[in-house]
Amino acid sequence: MHRIPFAMASAAIAVALFAGPSALAQKPGGTLVQITQPEPPNLAPYISTSGPIGQVTAKVFDGLLDYDFDLKPKPALAESFTVAPDGKTVTFKLRKDVKFHDGKPFTSADVRFTIMDVLKTNHPRGIATFKEVTAVETPDPHTAVFKLATPAPYMMMALSGYESPILPKHVYGVGDIKTHAKANEPVGTGPFRFVEWRRGEFVRLDKNKDYWRAGQPYLDRIVVRFIADASTRTAALEKGEAHVAGFGAVPYNDVKKLGALPSLEVTTKGYEMISPIVELVINTRKPPFDNQKVRQAVSYAVDRKFVIDNVWFGFGKPAMGPISSNFAPSGLYAAGIDFTVADRIERANKLLDEAGFPKKADGFRFEIVHDITPYGEEWQRFGEAVQQALAQVGIKATLRYEDVAKWLKRLYTDYDYFISSNFLYNLADPVLGVHRGFHSDRIKPGTVFVNGARWSTPETDALMDKATVEADAAKRSVLYKDLVQKVSEGSPVIYVLELQFPTIVNKQFRNVITGPLGIYGNFATAYRQ
Amino acid sequence: MTGSELGRYIIRRLLQTVPVVLGVVVMNFLLLQLAPGDLATVLAGEAGGAPKEYIDQLRQRFGQDQPVLVQLFNYLRNIVFLDLGYSFRQSAPVLDLLLARLVPTLLLMGATLIVSLGIGVLTGVLAALWVRTWKDHLVSVAAIVFYATPLFWVGLMLILLFSIHLDWFPTSGMEDVVAFHEGWARVVDIAHHLVLPTITLSLFYLALYARLMRASMLEQRGLDYVTTARAKGLTDRQITTRHVFRNALLPVVTMAGVQFGGLLGGSVVVESVFAWPGLGQLAYQSLFARDFNLLLGIFFLSSCLVVTVNLVVDLVYVVLDPRIRIG
Amino acid sequence: MRSFRQRFLGNPRVALGLAWLGLVVAVALLADVLAPKDPFAIVGAPFAPPAGDFVLGTDSLGRDVAAGLIHGARTTMLIAVLSTLAAVGFGAIVGAVTGYYGKLVDDVLMRTTEFFQTIPSFLFAIVLIAILSPSAVNLVIAIATVSWPPIARVVRGEVLAVRSREFVQAAVVAGQRDSAILVTQVLPNTLSPLIVTGSLLVATAILFESALSFLGLGAPNQMSWGFMIGAGRSFMREAWWLVMVPGVAILLTVLAINLVGEGLNDALNPRLADL
Repeated sequence: MHRIPFAMASAAIAVALFAGPSALAQKPGGTLVQITQPEPPNLAPYISTSGPIGQVTAKVFDGLLDYDFDLKPKPALAESFTVAPDGKTVTFKLRKDVKFHDGKPFTSADVRFTIMDVLKTNHPRGIATFKEVTAVETPDPHTAVFKLATPAPYMMMALSGYESPILPKHVYGVGDIKTHAKANEPVGTGPFRFVEWRRGEFVRLDKNKDYWRAGQPYLDRIVVRFIADASTRTAALEKGEAHVAGFGAVPYNDVKKLGALPSLEVTTKGYEMISPIVELVINTRKPPFDNQKVRQAVSYAVDRKFVIDNVWFGFGKPAMGPISSNFAPSGLYAAGIDFTVADRIERANKLLDEAGFPKKADGFRFEIVHDITPYGEEWQRFGEAVQQALAQVGIKATLRYEDVAKWLKRLYTDYDYFISSNFLYNLADPVLGVHRGFHSDRIKPGTVFVNGARWSTPETDALMDKATVEADAAKRSVLYKDLVQKVSEGSPVIYVLELQFPTIVNKQFRNVITGPLGIYGNFATAYRQ
Repeated sequence: MTGSELGRYIIRRLLQTVPVVLGVVVMNFLLLQLAPGDLATVLAGEAGGAPKEYIDQLRQRFGQDQPVLVQLFNYLRNIVFLDLGYSFRQSAPVLDLLLARLVPTLLLMGATLIVSLGIGVLTGVLAALWVRTWKDHLVSVAAIVFYATPLFWVGLMLILLFSIHLDWFPTSGMEDVVAFHEGWARVVDIAHHLVLPTITLSLFYLALYARLMRASMLEQRGLDYVTTARAKGLTDRQITTRHVFRNALLPVVTMAGVQFGGLLGGSVVVESVFAWPGLGQLAYQSLFARDFNLLLGIFFLSSCLVVTVNLVVDLVYVVLDPRIRIG
Repeated sequence: MRSFRQRFLGNPRVALGLAWLGLVVAVALLADVLAPKDPFAIVGAPFAPPAGDFVLGTDSLGRDVAAGLIHGARTTMLIAVLSTLAAVGFGAIVGAVTGYYGKLVDDVLMRTTEFFQTIPSFLFAIVLIAILSPSAVNLVIAIATVSWPPIARVVRGEVLAVRSREFVQAAVVAGQRDSAILVTQVLPNTLSPLIVTGSLLVATAILFESALSFLGLGAPNQMSWGFMIGAGRSFMREAWWLVMVPGVAILLTVLAINLVGEGLNDALNPRLADL
């Protein structure tokens, strides 16, 4: 008698397995049209980390590892890895059944070539990520051993197909890697193979029938389209001509409208390994901003809520320090001084009075120029909102809007600015994305997106140096708590908001955003209903 | 004029254009040197940051560590052999990039020219015939309204109406990237995609041509030969079709010729709204990326075309109007 | 034959055009009185529709659209008029000098204008703005730079025609200095095409300013109609007034300028007008 319910239960499970929506729906086929903005300059993710490139090439290249939403590593080209107790040796066991798109097998020689000959020497971030790697040993075709000079726990976060794509040595090892013939016709091991790139129009990727994850990918094809005008991108999604768009490709105010359509859905997941932060970087060596009180006053003056609601239309939350709250699951997140308090304007005025800048007859204390990040409209609106906020506390700001090349030179080479909006990613680990903003090592004229504020203290440097080599999350979290507090007191950078990029997905397609890399994922499990 | 005279004239004109084009190249090159910031910085910026060594390495590879005059000399030396260089940002030879965009540009501009010239001339003639009636005023006002309405606004409104609400035309792009038609189906598909951008761009130009045609018609009608023709007993209709129309067309053709040269540079705004893969977009992007090899290539192509079109227009003049002497 | 004034002002289209332009100029001059506040000031809730607390509504940040329109009239007209004056001034001098002296100087000019002709003028303006960075002054420079060659050509053509006429020859024989002849004899005769071309240039300049602003290359610190269109374009569907209000202002102004320009043309060339 006890057996019957069990049999019934298992019958029910069997029904669910065979007739359930997932089993039926994951039938292969279909073309997914993704919008990427702007068009990538090339398809060589091993020499450029320009954002749009990865949105295409992450489907073509695999990495050694994958990550889940809590940023925990998962196997990919590496089935497993072990870190030696001293942290200086990392051994990867590689899959044996993997072939590149040209049919040649994938081996440890490809890993060695990719890391040592390409990423460590040519990849803009790889130079830092793999700085400690002295050698990659290949005892057999399916084992790769990374030898490190000092422990680099952060490196383990940077091994995705997006950040560190594994290249075939027999293709990219021939000829100059910097001007390689295959720079725009990538060859990898990923679920989709490159077919065609028609400039100004689209990149076409077709299903890799020999993909090592059996049965995947489900889609026949991905076409990545480039549409320069924002309103047209909205229209293309609305009409169903395109199915996926992320990274601010659609104007933030249009996203709600699109999300309300029955055919589309909106998610803000899929940016956990990127964690973008909107900030104001201050030239801390230029009066009056060499005064810490003035910097704090500006931080109080900026109305974060207004900016989130009216410039980014709700897609953000106030940033409480340099580290994004996306690091809360790993324990690395900490909040600094709360600059969003109710009496923030009074506090700002008081700080400015104390700093020795009283209001003059015209109501202003001093005049500055506010540079605007040249990334489009919302940045212009942000600049105008900051201008009005500063006026409220008696700082008269003139706006300056230059193009990218000019702006970067001004901020990171000439240091010829007062205060500028800025946009930085925390990336997969604070060592990679956060330290660069205020470590004394990173005051490097000519290098972009580093310590343009030119602010540092011996204490904060020491905290970061310790956190870099510390493998224990609990100990790191104590270091970061202290660091965040000190940085927020110094306010070399005003952390305004954590931007939550919306991704719009057509409901015909399921399982599109499946990990912390979002559109930088490989879409192997995406399928059409 | 004999055939050999014409041939010599063409050769002489062509020879004259060489220094002009080279001069234009030099001017453009020097002009772009004035822009602050360089490709290496932009590439590093696009990459979200890069070490100094990397940027220096890039500059060396681009030849930007050389003095400007050396760079200019190298560029000129290459251009003599029609080597337009390499776009480091796009990792492709400039010539390939240009040629890929040339066909879509010619398609859009050709269609625009035909539509705007056809309708523009027709409405211009009608307006001239109806001169100072309410119909003439209506045409003039409509022409100015089209002329003064921002192109992007017209474009987006057309997308809203014909693409989203009526579902007659696709929103953007040059062909259907889900179906990937082939053969005649592809031709039809591309024509289908061409409709809205052509209308948008044509509205602007047809306004110009209509106004010019009207003015030109009126001017011709006031000339002495019309009086003579009338005295000879020709009807108004005969005068208009045989003489006035043909002569009035000349300035419009000149204008269209000049604009066709300019049109080949593409229309940044319309290409942007309709995601049309033309040269205007390419030029715009390469300017802001400081991809000067590519931008100079576009300018070079554009100047060659303008010079050629000028020559053709002059020849057409010589053929159409025997009073104009070459020399 | 009626006098110039009768022909010009008696034309109802010209009267309409002048009336609108007069209104725009008056608003531009009185901007600080009509809307004393900074047009960039955030004064209310964002996206308030017209005919509520604010006559023409508010934009995405809660700025008063009416105040923007008023101050925008000043910036837009100033940029348009100044760039036209610069282009006409420079173009006229170059055209007159080359037309008068001919040959070598003439060749140089023709080659130079060819240079300007080979780069599409809008693209050239964008290049100039990228080099100079967006500001009101630089907009004037860029627009003037791409606009002067046609003026120079027009003036040169007229000067060539006038130069051989009897009264100029008489002045040469009388021993007048070249500059005096140019200014007193030649230039006045080129005035009518110059005025007509120039008036249309103002309209073109307004359109240039708005197109540059559409691309985000407008002056960031001056409220202009182009700026308003650029800032409102993303919200065209849910807040139509943001683009419509400045768009209609531009449309009417360009229309008015064209009407006046055509009227000028007709009035200055009476033979044509009296057909």
